Amino acid sequence: MFALNVISKTLNLPATKSAVNFQILRWRRKPRWVPIAKSKQFRIPQRPVIIEDEQIELKRLFNNYRTQMKSIKRYIVERFVAARAITTDPKDIQRIFDEDFARCNKINDEWNSDIQSKRIEYFENTLEENINLAKESLQKRLELEQFKLEEAEKIVTEQKELSKTFITADNIDEAIERSLANPVDYNFAVDLDGNKFYNKKTL
Amino acid sequence: MLSPASGTGRFYRKSAKIIRFARHGCANRPFFHIVVTERRRTQKMPVIEQLGTFDPLENEHNEKLVSLNLERIIYWMGSGAHISRPVDRLFGLAGLLPIHPTSYMTAWRNRKEIENQAKEEHKEGEAKT
Repeated sequence: MFALNVISKTLNLPATKSAVNFQILRWRRKPRWVPIAKSKQFRIPQRPVIIEDEQIELKRLFNNYRTQMKSIKRYIVERFVAARAITTDPKDIQRIFDEDFARCNKINDEWNSDIQSKRIEYFENTLEENINLAKESLQKRLELEQFKLEEAEKIVTEQKELSKTFITADNIDEAIERSLANPVDYNFAVDLDGNKFYNKKTL
Repeated sequence: MLSPASGTGRFYRKSAKIIRFARHGCANRPFFHIVVTERRRTQKMPVIEQLGTFDPLENEHNEKLVSLNLERIIYWMGSGAHISRPVDRLFGLAGLLPIHPTSYMTAWRNRKEIENQAKEEHKEGEAKT
């Protein structure tokens, strides 16, 4: 707080406004050798006032609680001590070890069998799923191939239709004669109305 | 550096142990680990073992979340660890131990306060009409 006051004074700002982002950490009150402040020397701290009824009730509750806690703690401690009773006889040690191992083994076997059944079920399910998936994809592939074949067929028939007008080695003479008989003159001009003007030569 | 939850604190076999809170939040954000340590150790020293957590700030559903490792708590109680009062209260509310008398006390005091407030409001209402 002192440092903050100094800062606020030097900056000539009110302490409350300059302390927006400050957080004062009071990590200890004062050095141990500093005596009681003069103003606090004869101060009598106020005692908490507890009502008599409340006090009686609290006493009863606390007595009950302590008794219960005592018995609970004793029970737990006894159980704990019994659980870790130590023997030095190697036979006993072996027996305890075997019993513990058998217990653990049983739990382990249970888990293993459980997981095995789950695994079998899982793999069966996934196998079926995979087979279905493969069948589906095969069906799709076949459909696609069929579609492609049909498309190709369509193109071929179109081309066959067109091939009737083709000029081949058989009818080439005929075609030549026909073209000679019907000369086509592309040397014409067109006006805005679409009239064609042939054989007009510009100077 | 943070120590692992299993704890790295060294301890003597016969020293006094205690189950208590260790504050692990930051400024204005308390968060407690429930730990078992030697009684004489300070709060920030490495602990023997962490037994749970306690978040004293309510979440969006108005719940204070607690986690307890009951098996280990009973183990440490069985080996004679003490329990601090706040942790005793928490265990009482969690149902592990009998409910602590101070829990009852705060409950009845809160109830009384609510009753008084209601009475005052009633009086004010009457005075206005």
